[in-house]
Amino acid sequence: MTAKNHLDGLKFKAQFDLWGGSLPRSELAWVNMLRQEAMAKFLQFGLPGPKMEAWKYTNLGQLNSGNFDLLTSSDRAGNETAPFESLDGSKIVFTDGFYNKATSTIESQKGVKFLSLNDYMKDYPEAAQKLFNKKDDGSSLQNLNTAIMTGGYVLFVDENTKLAGPIQIIHNTTTSSENKSITTKCFIDLQDNSFAQMVETFIGSDEHNYWRHHVTEAIVGKNAVLEIYQIQQESKKAIHTADTHVDVDQRANFKHYSLNLGGKISRTEIKPTLTGLQSNVDLRGAFLGRNGNSHDVFTHMKHMFPEGTSDQIYRGVLDKGGKSSFQGKVYVAKDAQLTNADQSNKNLILDRNAEANSKPELLIYADDVKCSHGATVGELDAEALYYLKSRGLDQNAAKALLVEAFVAEVFEDIKLEPVRLKYLELALNWLSEETKE
Amino acid sequence: MLEIKNLHVEVGGQKILKGLNLTINDGEVHAIMGPNGAGKSTLSYAICGKPGYEITDGSVTFKGKNFLELEASERAGEGVFLGFQYPVEIPGVSNINFLRAAINSVRKYRNEGEMAAGDFLKLIRSKAAELEMDPEMLKRAVNVGFSGGEKKRNEMVQMSMLDPILAVLDETDSGLDIDALRIVADGINRMRCPEKSILVITHYQRLLDYVVPDFVHVLANGKIVKSGDKTLAIRLEKEGYAGLGIEENAA
Ligand SMILES: Nc1ncnc2c1ncn2[C@@H]1O[C@H](COP(=O)(O)OP(=O)(O)O)[C@@H](O)[C@H]1O
Ligand SMILES: [Mg+2]
Repeated sequence: MTAKNHLDGLKFKAQFDLWGGSLPRSELAWVNMLRQEAMAKFLQFGLPGPKMEAWKYTNLGQLNSGNFDLLTSSDRAGNETAPFESLDGSKIVFTDGFYNKATSTIESQKGVKFLSLNDYMKDYPEAAQKLFNKKDDGSSLQNLNTAIMTGGYVLFVDENTKLAGPIQIIHNTTTSSENKSITTKCFIDLQDNSFAQMVETFIGSDEHNYWRHHVTEAIVGKNAVLEIYQIQQESKKAIHTADTHVDVDQRANFKHYSLNLGGKISRTEIKPTLTGLQSNVDLRGAFLGRNGNSHDVFTHMKHMFPEGTSDQIYRGVLDKGGKSSFQGKVYVAKDAQLTNADQSNKNLILDRNAEANSKPELLIYADDVKCSHGATVGELDAEALYYLKSRGLDQNAAKALLVEAFVAEVFEDIKLEPVRLKYLELALNWLSEETKE
Repeated sequence: MLEIKNLHVEVGGQKILKGLNLTINDGEVHAIMGPNGAGKSTLSYAICGKPGYEITDGSVTFKGKNFLELEASERAGEGVFLGFQYPVEIPGVSNINFLRAAINSVRKYRNEGEMAAGDFLKLIRSKAAELEMDPEMLKRAVNVGFSGGEKKRNEMVQMSMLDPILAVLDETDSGLDIDALRIVADGINRMRCPEKSILVITHYQRLLDYVVPDFVHVLANGKIVKSGDKTLAIRLEKEGYAGLGIEENAA
């Protein structure tokens, strides 16, 4: 059975029938069961299809037409570059979706439990089962993720505990990733008054063809702060889908930053639910595309309690052959009075053969709220370009300075300086790469 | 230094300049006055290569070079500076980064190496101080949220940093209070020397009390219709364009 407007998932079923029992921790009966059940749920729907409004700009039909077999192990001898030399603190590496113990460094801290998901499932089976039960949101891709995941991590931070430093999460690939699905899942649970920063990089090597699907399930307790910084530099042939689900409790703050540069297709989904009074969510991101890149950012902000604030700023730069879409859905429940929800998406088109789509969707059931949204698609400001040229900058330099500024504004309030600088450096590198004819 | 002959310029299909002639020699200060819409800004843009300002006839020669063949950025490299009537706001680009990029671009054009970071900072601080600009403003985005007067002062900081051979200043005095006018005029006068020239476009005589011009021209109907010395500006102020037989809306 495939649900309306979905695509069938039979390819994944066939792979799962062959290899599901060999996936990590399938030797544990409860994990095996968890996977089986999740696969069954996935198959009831199938893959989301392009006729669904939310998937209008990203066609996962390519997952059926291409080859994305399951990978049951990896030799993990891959790309070992750490994107941030200047960040110390724990670092966890996933190579082809498998925990890479040799290149990870996990520092212990009182009040912090941080370990590989597979180890957690083995050592704390009861707690792990609860984690999965709590988090089934019924969406078909989440179920597929649970059925075929090969690795991930769990992070628990106790009350009143501040992470000693930002945690780095590195997802890299080896030649084993060719024509494979790479599937990871992680859980973050911050207790009241705690603080965590996660810096997550997705890197692909050698233009390999793979599908990476990464899911983050997070809970941010009262007055706690969670900041996630993502950098997506997948292989030019890859399909990248990253979903973040987060519950943000009373007066808690969730920040999510993303920079999408790589992949043939990228889809970044962020679904925060404001589950307490005066909670606060900030989403910031930039996507830069050319030469067949397609970037899709989909956000769904759910205001369930009064006096919450959410602010979304996304910027796209599309050069020849690049395509993007931003869909920002904001839901304000009847009781979520005095909500303040802002959303802005600006796109710069550098070539006639580039495309940017933008679609806000507001569903507001409370009557005393402030919600704003704005979307623009435009070219570089000719007056500004001339002003710079009149001061001696040539066409390319003037253009680069304006585009850099356009992107930099999204990241300007980042206090983690190495990350802010990394975002700028990567954006600049992207700008200086020539568009291939 | 600058020789403009029979210049015809069209903007958006409209003929704005219709045979303008102007010669500026080394060390001279020229002032151009004229009614609104006469084409004064058009002249400054034509000299500095703004796209959309189509030269349909005539020539602009700078230091013996055919200027019309050069890109706007190359004209800056040759040593021409345009002080904008309406300086442009550039969100996200700090003044200091903008100036560093500008200086190094011009140096690159002249086959000079990049300016050392320390030298650059020293220079910019001293120039900002000369023009009594708050150094904090150097960190802010170019012209964003600046008052009209601050924008004009910022143009002067850029000019003194870039140290041009010819400065074309389009209504740099408008929007300035008397103190700011004084500061800006001092900035212009500091540039005066036998090798450098200035073309001041202005509506008001008052700037010319501080920056005393060698020549004054009246632009109307797309041409220079009258030229004289500094007393021409004084007569204009007293008698108006009509007094000189020039219709206000002649453009
Ligand atoms: N971009 C433009 N498109 C169309 N007309 C323009 C443009 N810029 C200027 N003009 C017209 O050209 C004429 C001269 O303008 P301008 O050079 O700005 O005059 P001035 O600086 O002497 O006041 C005016 O009639 C103005 O409306
Ligand atoms: Mg003008």
